[in-house]
Amino acid sequence: MKKIVLFMMALAGVQTLLADDYPYLVFETADGAKTAVSSTALTITIKDGKLMAGSKEFALTDLNKMYFSETEETTAIEAVDVETLDDATEIYDLQGRKVTKAQMRRGVYVIKTKKGIRKVNVK
Amino acid sequence: MRRIYVTIAALVLTIAAWAQTLNVQVGSVTYQFPAAQCGEMAYSDGTTLTVMNKTFRLSDITSMTVDQTAVTDNAVGVTYDGTTATVTVSGNIAQYITPTVSGAHVSIEQGSAVSEEITYTLQGTTTDGEFALEGSYKCTVALAGLTLTNPSGAAINIANGKRIQISAKNNTVNTLTDGANGEQKACLYSKGQIQLQGNGTLNVVGNTKHAIKSGDYITVKNLTLNITKAVGDGISCEEYFLMKSGVVTISGVGDDGLQCDLGGDTSTGETADHDDEDSGNVYIEGGTLTVTVSAAASKGIKSQGDMKISDGTLNVTTTGNGAYDSSERDSKGCGGLKSDGNMTISGGTLTLKSTGTGGKCIKADGTLTVTGGNISATTTGGTYSYSNSKAQPKAIKADGNMTVSGGSITASSNGHEAIETKGTLTVTNGTVYGFSSSDDAINSASHMYLKGGTVTGVSNGNDGIDSNGNMTISGGTIVACGSGQPECGLDAAERYSLYITGGTVLGVGGGNNTVTTTSGSQCVLSTTGSATAGTAVSVKSGSTTLASFTVPTGYSPTSGGGGFGPGRPGGGGQSGSSSFSYLLSCPGLTSGTSYTVTVGSSSASCKAATSYSGR
Repeated sequence: MKKIVLFMMALAGVQTLLADDYPYLVFETADGAKTAVSSTALTITIKDGKLMAGSKEFALTDLNKMYFSETEETTAIEAVDVETLDDATEIYDLQGRKVTKAQMRRGVYVIKTKKGIRKVNVK
Repeated sequence: MRRIYVTIAALVLTIAAWAQTLNVQVGSVTYQFPAAQCGEMAYSDGTTLTVMNKTFRLSDITSMTVDQTAVTDNAVGVTYDGTTATVTVSGNIAQYITPTVSGAHVSIEQGSAVSEEITYTLQGTTTDGEFALEGSYKCTVALAGLTLTNPSGAAINIANGKRIQISAKNNTVNTLTDGANGEQKACLYSKGQIQLQGNGTLNVVGNTKHAIKSGDYITVKNLTLNITKAVGDGISCEEYFLMKSGVVTISGVGDDGLQCDLGGDTSTGETADHDDEDSGNVYIEGGTLTVTVSAAASKGIKSQGDMKISDGTLNVTTTGNGAYDSSERDSKGCGGLKSDGNMTISGGTLTLKSTGTGGKCIKADGTLTVTGGNISATTTGGTYSYSNSKAQPKAIKADGNMTVSGGSITASSNGHEAIETKGTLTVTNGTVYGFSSSDDAINSASHMYLKGGTVTGVSNGNDGIDSNGNMTISGGTIVACGSGQPECGLDAAERYSLYITGGTVLGVGGGNNTVTTTSGSQCVLSTTGSATAGTAVSVKSGSTTLASFTVPTGYSPTSGGGGFGPGRPGGGGQSGSSSFSYLLSCPGLTSGTSYTVTVGSSSASCKAATSYSGR
């Protein structure tokens, strides 16, 4: 019995390290923008003054910090070009109302394109 | 039970699948940061990244990955693979650890701010590598299947004055080999204390000096340690050496098998729990220790302080001859167990052999105390001579007093005394057997007190039991068989006396010492007879046997007896050049009363007396 207790205690110690799940690694740039990247099998490379994390790329000089997150914190202030907006098949505001590109004002929207779903901040 | 373990492990592994670890690789070193511990990781000026207080230059980072590697806190792993080595460092200690890797040569600096014990786990194989560690906090070096050869220095070199655990992990075989003609003190060296432990095997080959050396104490527990070669000592340490358990085999060494020296100038003596002890003592409390040494005047186990053996199995063999020590201007022989201080044996099984000239199985410069254990000591070499300086072979020798109160001693010497003390010899219990083919079997330079136990001295070339002071027999069973005249069975020095106040006593030889009446004297009987091993000897009062003996096996005196004929006090019976003196004593004898003494097939009526006039 003593062995079992000790074994479980040892495993519990390991479990402490392993129990938390952080599926995202969030990068924050100097302007406060946050970009969440899936941490699953993530490879980060640094080259030519840039940091590549998955499909995301950051200028090293812009990076402020990074941290693991349990949620996709992307307040994602991403550079969304017109072309991307043009590719939007559906746009929703944070209240879940479907809007058109013309209806977009300052605020955060969720847009759906052929490439996927993104959260964008319109200034 | 096994199912429970498997189930729990499976659950944990399931959980593990959800954990993330950030691996920051810098060359051959990977720092592993569990996501849960990372917190905010700060970039600065596009040049550095700081994770858990460990700051990396971004330009140094080879790559960063996130995977599900499980990380154990306070752990450093080193894996050797041919000409390379890789190092992993757990995130919580990354800020304190500075590894340098060149090929398979790994050097790690453990920062002074470390406040928790770190475990360094070494594994893999290389023929050109090393593990060097600097630091100032205790740590563990775990060997988990390591074959490490450093052709240019020590295999493991730890410049850390604190306690270092060297742990051979369960079911692993680990081999350390250093280079020849180097500057290193040992193949495995630590400035601090070494605790050798684990349930695995550690093989050590020392090609320059010692196999294992600690600047402090060394303890051994559980592991199997094989030292197959050392130019110097197999194990060399200071302060003290303690073996609690395990199997240690030392051979192929150029000097002593195990040597423990005083670290400072003054001994603390043994301290409670060995705290802050600097005694030069050797403690054997268990396990199996087998030592074979062959160098001239080498020692199997040597302590500058005391030696205390309380349990375990010791097999110590020395085969080297004697040598002249020019610094001490004295000839020295090999020694199986050698203490510069006192020696105490309270348990264990000791099998000791010395075959070279001047060799001794046990040599205590101080006192020798035996309270238990089984000791077999055999020396077969002759005398070593250098000019007028000699080293004489003796199975057991104490420069101080020797006391036996338990255990069993069997000592045999071809060259000189089997058992010799330069002080007094006191036996109160236990079994003592000494055999010498050419000198006294048992000898004390001072008084001898035989109070109990069983003491047998058999010499085919000199006295059976010889005291150079008084000999007082007050109890026990004493059998002393000496050679022919002028040698004795029982012998006390001239101007000293043999007193018998108790015990069951047989002395056989060319003569026996005069017995002097004293307060409480026990009567003696004397007769003569042939001296043949296996001869039955008895004392009877009518049909009642008061004492019986068998002349010990191996007794074959080299010259004829002379005997002491009828008419002498306490005497009677046979005489003649082929007859040896028999002196007997046992409880129940009354002065002036005649008893039947039978030696082999010859019986004689002998009158008891409180004194006996011998040689």
